[in-house]
Amino acid sequence: MHFFIQELVNGLTQGSLYALIALGYSMVYGVLKLLNFAHGDLYMVGAFIGYFVIQWFGGPMALSVPVPLVLLVMFVLAGGGVGMLGVAIERFAYRPLRDAPRIAPLITALGVAFLLENTMLLLFGASYRDYNTSAFISFSTGIHIGPLNVDIVRIMVIVLSIVLMFALTVIVNRTKLGRQMRAVASDREAAEMLGINVDYTIAATFFLGSALAGIAGVMAGLVFNQIYTLMGFVAGLKAFTAAVVGGIGSIPGAMLGGMLIGIAESFVTGYISSTYTNLIVFGILIAVMLARPTGLLGRVPLQKV
Amino acid sequence: MNAADGQLAKPLLSLDKVTTYYAQMRILEGISLQVGAGELVCLLGGNASGKSTTLKTILGLVRPRAGRVLFAGEDVTAWPVPQRIANGVAIVPENRRLFGTMTVRENLELGAVLRDAGTYDADFERVYTLFPRLHERRDQLAGTLSGGEQQMVAMGRALMSRPRLLLMDEPSMGLSPALVQQNFRIIKEVHESGVAVLMVEQNATMALSIADRGYVLSTGEIVLSGSAAELLRSEDLKRAYLGR
Amino acid sequence: MSVEPKDPSIGVDEWVARSAQRAEYAPGWRGQAQRRWERIGWWPRLGIAALAGAAVPLLTVNDFQLQIGINALLLALLALGLNISVGWAGLLDLGFIAFYGFGAYGFALLSSNQLSTSGVHLPAYASVPIVMVGAACLGLMVGLPSRRLIGDYLAIITLFFGEAFVEFTNNVATNKLGGPNGIVAIDPYKAFGAQITTNKGYFYLLLILLVLTMAALHLLDTSRTGRAWRAVREDPLAAEMMTIPVNRVKLMAFSFGAVVAALAGTVFAAQQISVFPTDFDTTFLILIYAALILGGAGSIGGAVLGGLILSVTLDGFLRSPTQSGYLFYGVILLTLIVKLRPWWRLIAVVAGTAVFGLVVHAIVHAVSASAVAGGPQSSGWIADLVRNWVVVPRNPAAAGNVGFVLLLGLLIALVQVRGRWRTVLLVPTLYLSVCVWEGRLVTVPAITRQILIGAILIVMMNARPQGLLGSRRVEVV
Repeated sequence: MHFFIQELVNGLTQGSLYALIALGYSMVYGVLKLLNFAHGDLYMVGAFIGYFVIQWFGGPMALSVPVPLVLLVMFVLAGGGVGMLGVAIERFAYRPLRDAPRIAPLITALGVAFLLENTMLLLFGASYRDYNTSAFISFSTGIHIGPLNVDIVRIMVIVLSIVLMFALTVIVNRTKLGRQMRAVASDREAAEMLGINVDYTIAATFFLGSALAGIAGVMAGLVFNQIYTLMGFVAGLKAFTAAVVGGIGSIPGAMLGGMLIGIAESFVTGYISSTYTNLIVFGILIAVMLARPTGLLGRVPLQKV
Repeated sequence: MNAADGQLAKPLLSLDKVTTYYAQMRILEGISLQVGAGELVCLLGGNASGKSTTLKTILGLVRPRAGRVLFAGEDVTAWPVPQRIANGVAIVPENRRLFGTMTVRENLELGAVLRDAGTYDADFERVYTLFPRLHERRDQLAGTLSGGEQQMVAMGRALMSRPRLLLMDEPSMGLSPALVQQNFRIIKEVHESGVAVLMVEQNATMALSIADRGYVLSTGEIVLSGSAAELLRSEDLKRAYLGR
Repeated sequence: MSVEPKDPSIGVDEWVARSAQRAEYAPGWRGQAQRRWERIGWWPRLGIAALAGAAVPLLTVNDFQLQIGINALLLALLALGLNISVGWAGLLDLGFIAFYGFGAYGFALLSSNQLSTSGVHLPAYASVPIVMVGAACLGLMVGLPSRRLIGDYLAIITLFFGEAFVEFTNNVATNKLGGPNGIVAIDPYKAFGAQITTNKGYFYLLLILLVLTMAALHLLDTSRTGRAWRAVREDPLAAEMMTIPVNRVKLMAFSFGAVVAALAGTVFAAQQISVFPTDFDTTFLILIYAALILGGAGSIGGAVLGGLILSVTLDGFLRSPTQSGYLFYGVILLTLIVKLRPWWRLIAVVAGTAVFGLVVHAIVHAVSASAVAGGPQSSGWIADLVRNWVVVPRNPAAAGNVGFVLLLGLLIALVQVRGRWRTVLLVPTLYLSVCVWEGRLVTVPAITRQILIGAILIVMMNARPQGLLGSRRVEVV
């Protein structure tokens, strides 16, 4: 039972990360109908920004400022920086292709992902880098009930993810920007006819979605310590499927999908075998996509033929 | 006002020899037309004659390659869409184009998207008085409404921006004959509240029966213009529809 | 190259007008050559190309160059296979690489000692057909989702399939599939008592297979099936209403592509004598895509040309710093010559860049001697030529990285500005790109290669989505 709960917590942690990435996928897919393959790499860039913030403050062993401030700077810089990167990618790679056949931006997205990965490889090399979180955040704090340990970092990741998702829900459902985003997602041309600034709305969507991926990258660094330039692609794939499993375009769907995939992965690793984790998770994903392409919380689009 | 040559003393909207391309395709060739303040003008023509493109040019979605667009005495040819809407143009698009997954209220709010929140209570009031049905349905998803109700939302949404000129693209398309009747009554009502209307229609007789004046487009050129009564009598109108 | 028609009538799309007049040819001898080339029909053209290909081994001097040729032919064959589903049927198949892997692993299993405990060790002439039939079935299976899913959903599910293949070969039945260690000691191609062991032999084998595949695909393209594929690509719904069996046609596209890929896989396995899971990862898939996009999706000649160009460029030139230098400067000069008109602008830009470099070098040298102490990282006469012109500090890696990021920014700015400013901005961009090249990129060919592939995909899609030989897609509005 303890093992079960432990694995559940691991799954929730991993799932929170997937959910955050999935939200960005889902939002971008909503407004552009584009599967942004580069999104997973934005998560990787976020992880690197967090790493350099730690180094900048003196390294994990000898931080020159209090830990909460370091965390704040990491999240703000990773979120803001990756958000801007996402906006730039949209502006220069995807915007010229907005009216092209659907396959063109998809292939461009593959190119952007490849370019981003290899630029990072050129700049920072292929070696693994270590956040060394335990040097500045004590893993022994947290919740301990008998043999069950839930450390403070995991708690923070799960709580912060839920807060971010809640904030995003409010933005999308309650604010003017959110209404404009939904309008653009629903019918871009009609939105334009009402005077909605479509370019701005799409850029804002990219900013929000990419910022979430950047923050997820920092979280990944804090929880799993090791970061490397190729960490983004597979994480991005799984997150996209999380978005699909939950129902693309739906925020609660992305959360649910992310959590489910995280938990499934964690249980497969815990109860079956870590060698087969990816294989089994891929299998589950293929099965879900075949059985219910609109996702668990997705609506069948009202499509006119 | 109803001068036969279509020249108005002080038009609200005036297109001056507008030529428009759509990508590589030439759609409009030297179009000149006017709409006076408070007038109801219809733009007739067969398929692919450039009617919708004319409306898009007026709204600013398409930029003309040559010619000028004047609105309320100002040259708006280079203005972006939002600025034109703020200046008093609005469109009811072809097929209505509602945001189906959003509520009626949200759709209406998006019509006034260029103004700050809280400044459009009076506009809601106006739309709900004009279409009491929408008040009943305000929290329903727009995609679940009937065709007639959707047309009301589309018109209400356009009116939310307080237009001086309302562009209507094929308002009777896809509606049953009874609804078409009702629809034209609504258009007349809106028009009588002081909004000028430029309406694109295929149903010429129906449109001319409520319009002040009309223009007939054929393959990107205006081939015929005049008062509604003249056009209704004209033999040329039938010929223009059947092609040259 | 084509000339815009002077004055199309209203409502007539200029593209249609151009097609209606067949084609507008370039003026002068180029147009004449083009016309003559088009007039001789497809199979003599293919024959000429094949003869040209057959002459290549006579010109090459060593096995390494032949290996480059073999890689290029393999990539061309794969691009041809991918073209069936992506270019013709419009189905974005991101699991294509798995078919290639299936062919290679299938051949490796059947024609090696890997399964000899169960008594299976087939000769090549038996195992190749078995593998191809298996690939056809696999193609059908992977294609099944395309009955329900389109576009991005299909892309992602096929991508999972491709990823799953790598995971599978890495982790499952490691005693048979070898896990990360792969399968070694695979039989060579063998038929009628003769076996192919030399690189030259495999070169000719691949050339023959490529030409045969091209011919078969050309016949297929102009057949009912080919037309059905294109109809499904343009508008599946309309195709369905024209009584085209859309689902069957989609499955056929997957299946045909899989067979071509598997064929390439068997040759790859036999020639390499070994297969590893990493031979079939996403990186290689993107290379195949880049080849197809570069050449032109939907065009047989384009797919082959893209594969040959990309493979020869990346494998042949990027290996050695000197040769990659020829490539780098050659491509830049060619692009300038083609794109910069009239001639005085070209002269102005080249001269401006030269002067700009000298000035920058002088200023930097005056400020700090160590900032120019690095010198070009390449060798050869070009390096000597630019030695006292480029700024490469003593520690080139760090500065090169900064320069690279700066270069990306400059390139983006270059795309954004118009008119005269573009020409002005071109000068520092060119100079910086040479500095970054000589200081950093030339020292890391593996990464440079990947960056180039990514850049090709983005640039081609934005600038010339129809590729070198493809024809532009027309969207019906």
